[in-house]
Amino acid sequence: MSTASARPHAGSPSGLRPGLLVASRWLGNVKILIPFAALVVIWSAIQAVGHFPERVLVSPSRVWDTMLLLFSHGILVEYIRTSIAMIFVATAISLAIGVPLGFLVGSNRYAARALETFLRYLQGISGIAWLPLVVIWFGFTHLTTLAIVIYTLAVPIIFNTMTGVRAVPELYALGLRSLGAGRLRVIRDVYLPGALPSIMVGLRLGMGYGWRALIAAEMLVRQGGLGDLIFGARTSGQIDRIIGGMIVIGALYIIIDRLLVQPLENLTIARWGLLRK
Amino acid sequence: MDPASFAGRAVSRLAWKAMPAVPFVVVLLAWIVLWEVFHPSKETLPPIRDVLSTIHDLAASGQLAQNVLASVYRLLLGSVLGILTGVAGGFLVGLNRAIAQMLNPLVVFFNAISGIVWLPLMIAWIGIGTALAVFLIWNTVFFIVFQNTVLGVQLVPEALENGVRSLGGSRWETLRSVTLPGALPYILTGIRSGLGFGWRALIAAELVGAASGLGTMIFDAAEFHRSDIIITGCLIIGAIAMAVDRWLLLPIERRTVRRWGLISDAEAKH
Repeated sequence: MSTASARPHAGSPSGLRPGLLVASRWLGNVKILIPFAALVVIWSAIQAVGHFPERVLVSPSRVWDTMLLLFSHGILVEYIRTSIAMIFVATAISLAIGVPLGFLVGSNRYAARALETFLRYLQGISGIAWLPLVVIWFGFTHLTTLAIVIYTLAVPIIFNTMTGVRAVPELYALGLRSLGAGRLRVIRDVYLPGALPSIMVGLRLGMGYGWRALIAAEMLVRQGGLGDLIFGARTSGQIDRIIGGMIVIGALYIIIDRLLVQPLENLTIARWGLLRK
Repeated sequence: MDPASFAGRAVSRLAWKAMPAVPFVVVLLAWIVLWEVFHPSKETLPPIRDVLSTIHDLAASGQLAQNVLASVYRLLLGSVLGILTGVAGGFLVGLNRAIAQMLNPLVVFFNAISGIVWLPLMIAWIGIGTALAVFLIWNTVFFIVFQNTVLGVQLVPEALENGVRSLGGSRWETLRSVTLPGALPYILTGIRSGLGFGWRALIAAELVGAASGLGTMIFDAAEFHRSDIIITGCLIIGAIAMAVDRWLLLPIERRTVRRWGLISDAEAKH
């Protein structure tokens, strides 16, 4: 699957004493901020030199003030809460549907062959393309957004679970069975750990697709969430809200991906890794 | 040979071949049954024959071809730009570890907001139209191709590069005959996954930010509650995505992997 951002974190200071570790982490964090500081300086310079009207570009400090204002009024938190709740509920439901279904299909080679093309086909139809139809069904509600995000998330999870199960060498299962293990035991001790790394890849990919689908759906459904924040700001020409919202969207995604999903993926691969060295 | 077992094997081979069609047939049957049992309004779920006749009407009037062409043209333009800039940038950055490390946080951040997140800002900056859709696709494809190119370039064993250089190869020759083929499987993985994201971004962009294209067709249909057109659009969007992946990207990827023999590496990634 995608290796787009599956790069291991560079320079993790393992093997250092705790004090040094904290210090080097801190230094690492500062280093991360340098390019952003440079970007902000360039942005300020462009704004200062270009004298752009407010509908086109505002200064970084203006964006900061606006976001601070939105935050202090609790508005920003409300938008963030809506989006975060949505992505986590969607992820939980997608995992609950996708993993068992992927197992069911993956354990039979006819079923796997049958579903593979179909899933690839569905994956080509982005959730957002279904949005107009789902809006006719459920109206402009959270349910519509949720349905779109679950659709987007579940397909890669089913697909990768299936692929993961198919990739487990049958010998392992047969070995355990010949030692007297029941079907459930084989699933728990062979197929589940064997498929986990692949499931995690599916989850990560799915959350990447799902987060974008969520933002796009929020833009069109207009019932709160960060997509609503930035798209709503467009109609009133509030560039500060748009840029601030984009920064929050990016930061949240990085936090979810880097601090939650990627460590989980690395753990799984380190523990049960069949996929990578 | 026992004719019964021969026939049995032929049947099972046929079943194996027909398997991919099964889910499509099941969905169609479920659709028919659902419609016959509940008789939903046409806005909720049109009967299959309505969708078929809509496909026929749209195709006959040339509307469908026009929208498909508009979408595919944008996809191609944005993707080509994204691939060219992504590969070029990826090589520049991938060859220099210090620059790569310095830029990495920016790349991670802009990758996180690539594509559809730019929609409101870009509408304010360049307005609605082809340029908007092309920008969103370029933006989406670029970061995925860029990141994969950097990864691919960095993973080419230095010993191989040094080998060619010590034999008198120039820097350019080393790049062309060692680094590029070595990184190619990663680049192609990036292109494949980038186009997948790009196609999604395009449809989303067209829903609000274009005057033609499949996304626009669907969105306009929603205003008149023409779910037959929406479903037609979705079916065609999926078909195009699958056709591009299967008949364009997959063969290229396969050929590259076979030609430059990095099969073990490339497959370990899948």
